[in-house]
Amino acid sequence: MIGRALRHPSFVLGLAITLLVLGVAFLATFWTPHDATAMRISARLRPPSATNWLGTDQFGRDVLSMLMMGARNALLVGVVAVGIGLSIGVALGMMAATREGSLADEAIMRLCDFTFAFPAVLTAILILTFLGPGLVNAILAIGIFNIPVFARIARGASLQVMARDYIRAAQAAGRSTFGILHRHVLPNIRGILIVQASVQFALAILAEAGLSYLGIGTQPPNPSWGRMLNDSQTFLAQAPYLAIFPGAAIALAVLGFNLLGDGLRDVLDPKSKER
Amino acid sequence: MQHSSCRLALSLRLAALALPLALPALAQAPRDSVVVCQTLEPPILDPAGGAAAAIREVTYDNVFETLLAFNAEGRIEPRLAEKIESSADGLIHTITLRSGVTFHDGAALTAEDVKFSFERAMAPDSKNSQKWIFAPIDRIEARDTRTVIITLKSYVGDFLDGLAWADATIFSAKSADKAATEPVGTGPYQLVRWNRGDRLVLKRNENYWGRKPAIANATFRFISDPQAQVAALTAGDCDAHTNLSAPEAVPQLRANPNLRVSIGRTEGETIVAMNNGKAPFNNPKVREAISKAIDRAQVNEGAISGFGTLIGTHFSPNHPAYVDLTGAVKHDPAAAKKLLAEAGYPNGFSVTLRLPPPAYAQRGGEIVAAMLGQVGIKVSIEPVQWAQWLERVFRQRDYDLTIIAHVEPLDINIYARDGYYFGYVSEAVKAAVARTKSAKTEAERIAAYQEAQRLITADHVNVYLFMLPKITVSRAGLKGMWNNWPVPANPLAQLSWE
Amino acid sequence: MFAFLARRLATLLTTLAVAAILIFAVTEILPGDPAAAMLGLTATPETVAALRAELGLDAPAFVRFFGWIAGFFTGDLGISYAYRVPVAGLIAERLPVTLPLAIMASLFASILGITLGALAASRANSLVDSALMAGAQVGLAIPNFWFGILMVLLLSITLGWFPAGGFPGWETGFFKGLQALFLPAIALALPQGAVLARLTRTAVLEALGEDFVRTARAKGLTRGQTLRRHVLRNAMVPVITMLALQFSFLITGTIIIENVFALPGLGRLIFQSVGGHDLVTVKSLVMIYVGAVILVNALVDIAYGLIDPRLRFGRGVGR
Repeated sequence: MIGRALRHPSFVLGLAITLLVLGVAFLATFWTPHDATAMRISARLRPPSATNWLGTDQFGRDVLSMLMMGARNALLVGVVAVGIGLSIGVALGMMAATREGSLADEAIMRLCDFTFAFPAVLTAILILTFLGPGLVNAILAIGIFNIPVFARIARGASLQVMARDYIRAAQAAGRSTFGILHRHVLPNIRGILIVQASVQFALAILAEAGLSYLGIGTQPPNPSWGRMLNDSQTFLAQAPYLAIFPGAAIALAVLGFNLLGDGLRDVLDPKSKER
Repeated sequence: MQHSSCRLALSLRLAALALPLALPALAQAPRDSVVVCQTLEPPILDPAGGAAAAIREVTYDNVFETLLAFNAEGRIEPRLAEKIESSADGLIHTITLRSGVTFHDGAALTAEDVKFSFERAMAPDSKNSQKWIFAPIDRIEARDTRTVIITLKSYVGDFLDGLAWADATIFSAKSADKAATEPVGTGPYQLVRWNRGDRLVLKRNENYWGRKPAIANATFRFISDPQAQVAALTAGDCDAHTNLSAPEAVPQLRANPNLRVSIGRTEGETIVAMNNGKAPFNNPKVREAISKAIDRAQVNEGAISGFGTLIGTHFSPNHPAYVDLTGAVKHDPAAAKKLLAEAGYPNGFSVTLRLPPPAYAQRGGEIVAAMLGQVGIKVSIEPVQWAQWLERVFRQRDYDLTIIAHVEPLDINIYARDGYYFGYVSEAVKAAVARTKSAKTEAERIAAYQEAQRLITADHVNVYLFMLPKITVSRAGLKGMWNNWPVPANPLAQLSWE
Repeated sequence: MFAFLARRLATLLTTLAVAAILIFAVTEILPGDPAAAMLGLTATPETVAALRAELGLDAPAFVRFFGWIAGFFTGDLGISYAYRVPVAGLIAERLPVTLPLAIMASLFASILGITLGALAASRANSLVDSALMAGAQVGLAIPNFWFGILMVLLLSITLGWFPAGGFPGWETGFFKGLQALFLPAIALALPQGAVLARLTRTAVLEALGEDFVRTARAKGLTRGQTLRRHVLRNAMVPVITMLALQFSFLITGTIIIENVFALPGLGRLIFQSVGGHDLVTVKSLVMIYVGAVILVNALVDIAYGLIDPRLRFGRGVGR
């Protein structure tokens, strides 16, 4: 399987980009070319140069350093928001699957349908206004919308697995439901969950960028790609590079996780190649 | 930014733009319409019903008029009042109204309207933001249709000056209730329609009592995004911008032969306001430390490209009573740290900085937060909309720090106001401000103002950053835009095309 | 058939009702006294009482709820707290910006997505196909607001072909209006077009594998003729479904895009009302957005069920 994976172009490219983003974020923890929050007003809006490879922003901060710290921010959002969705969503979905057709199952699935009806951006704006803008609340708002996604997938996949003979055998042998889910079902649905997690990770990064762009996500001085784009719009004519680099960073990270997800899907389940 | 003629075929916009350039002969008919763009949209149009400067920027001397009015130089001149006679003790003012003044609905202006307007402003449930103007009034009497007599409780030297403020606008008793959305005034322009979030269209009041304005149709467009402001000016969608929020675009606009840029003054003392009524800001040492931690010149440069005039107190350098206190507090982070330690905060503390939407506040806020961070004060930034700022910071005093420009002229009296959002209480300042009111001579009044300035600076009530500049951009040929803002106003009747 | 329609309709109404109750609860019951929440703590009791009376808050919650719902039919949605004018009027003013924007974006997305998707499928596994699908991947990854900014940078600031933002109003001319909406619509359409291109390619490839295609080819039709006459028509069902479902993304995408281009539409209104705690306006606007999404989803479900009876008993499609 690893051999097949390494011959799959999307997977390889996706993995390479993802590793690059991870590497940059890891590096930023220890080292950035300049302090990402240090202002030098006298050196504001400088185009890319030898000292500031990607130029400086309206406060004279180093754009490259901000982008590197922004990668950490983006990954943090992805990990926590997808984590919330995975943990709660999978638990709900598997629970629903064990009681297929019950009132609990129906309630959980109806709730999922219902959440899908609420436009995510709009609801996130509402949540952030009532809870106040900020990174933590933004992650929460994004995380909530990941729950039904994983709940649906986990339920569907679990139902398929549970129809298999060996599960029936385990049930007959008197294994506890939790034991069966843990030992037999979860390992079998892991692949599809990982694929979806990769896609949701990309969506979470996009969502945080959008909210920060609107000014209600990550707050300064924490560097955020979306926030940098928001700031850049004012200086579009004077310093176009300010708008180009953060957007490219978002697009690259999202592309990486999307490709990784696509590649993983093909590798883990070659039959579903086209979807 | 420049258009080149080879792209003409591709550009729909250019076709419209190029026509008057290419065929000047066709442009002979005098232009009588103008699109004035401004940053903020007024929430409502009743200048006596809200504090927002944008209300005044649209309505003052356009839709509504006052008895007296500020001119472009900041001097007060008569408007609806033809003549004012004051008694020797200064307690009784007899105001004679101009004759032949009608409201947009055709009703004639009478003394009853003046009485009604002021009593409306003084009512307990009134939302007037400058009630102090009317506080000295004991009673108002409409003697005949053109004569109003105002009797004061006690002598207030500058009482009449207050009547030039937009908050003392004269409404018609019939239509004042609807002034927020359907303003009916006596001014040279009347409302045609208001597309909220976009524009407000005015037309010339053909029955105006005064000189007939040159501009027949005037539109205010509201563009809050700095980049869109520049683009709209360059593209010709705006004939003028009252105060550009993109100071960094000034060199680019100056290079454009179709545009004129002027850097003027406002009365907007831009300050980092501190909640003096609350720990740790109730400790003068903490306030001094914050003042010393902030490098105003750098804030000026970073927030508004250095176009502001640095100040050291809450007073306009344009006023004869101004005292230059810019040197009173020097930027000194080491001293700031020491003061914090003395105040019992050797490791600093955490505060919230609530920022209203304008660019000077948002950008200034980030710089101030970074500077305070260097002396150990951890600042978390919270952006708020205007409505929230007015509600939480201004009314509820629920804040630690905020950045705001106080655009009203001669407003140092706010430091003597109980319950004002600074939370500052000083008997000495109250006494000094009281003397500015009771002073019988100009010299006395100036001395009182100067004492008040020194007192608030010595107390480090707020951090005084700079006077907000007014960056006026107008299309070549458009005359009469105010280059300075003695009060926030854009009188359209003074505009004309060359 | 009738039972299917009745069931779908019942689901639709329940979903709408639950959504309305939830929105009502969040905006009118959770904040305690909405009048006090809007006015602030220092407001005098008289002012709060006056606003309560103005907003009709003294009536019991269920009366207010049904009054609000009835307002969607009578057109009386209350008076905006921030602007002091009827909410219905505000919405009517903004709709002529947002609706054409969403329609233009849908149009661009479907033209872009279906053409390129069909092209990629007809040259499956060729260089063109790979390039197009790589392009779709990139299109999916580019945030629409960044794409908007880039277009402003190139087409407005550098070349001066389009306004950088703002809306001159339809009364200044149809083309001026279209011109102002063009870039925002393209920005909105890009990611949706990418999704559609991928989906169209898959659907066309699936249809190409069906028996009738082989029959058509055997009858002597050229590859292009087959594609146009038989394949595309069959592949269109999932594509149109997806397009309709994407309407909800488009409509919420307008919230961000209207902010990028400073367009005075519903999206900007909702952002401003939320920021200004104008709960009266927020309540009805959110209901309109959510209602539109629920309605479009339901219509797709029904249409799909009518086209393909096998799906009538499922949970719906496209999820």
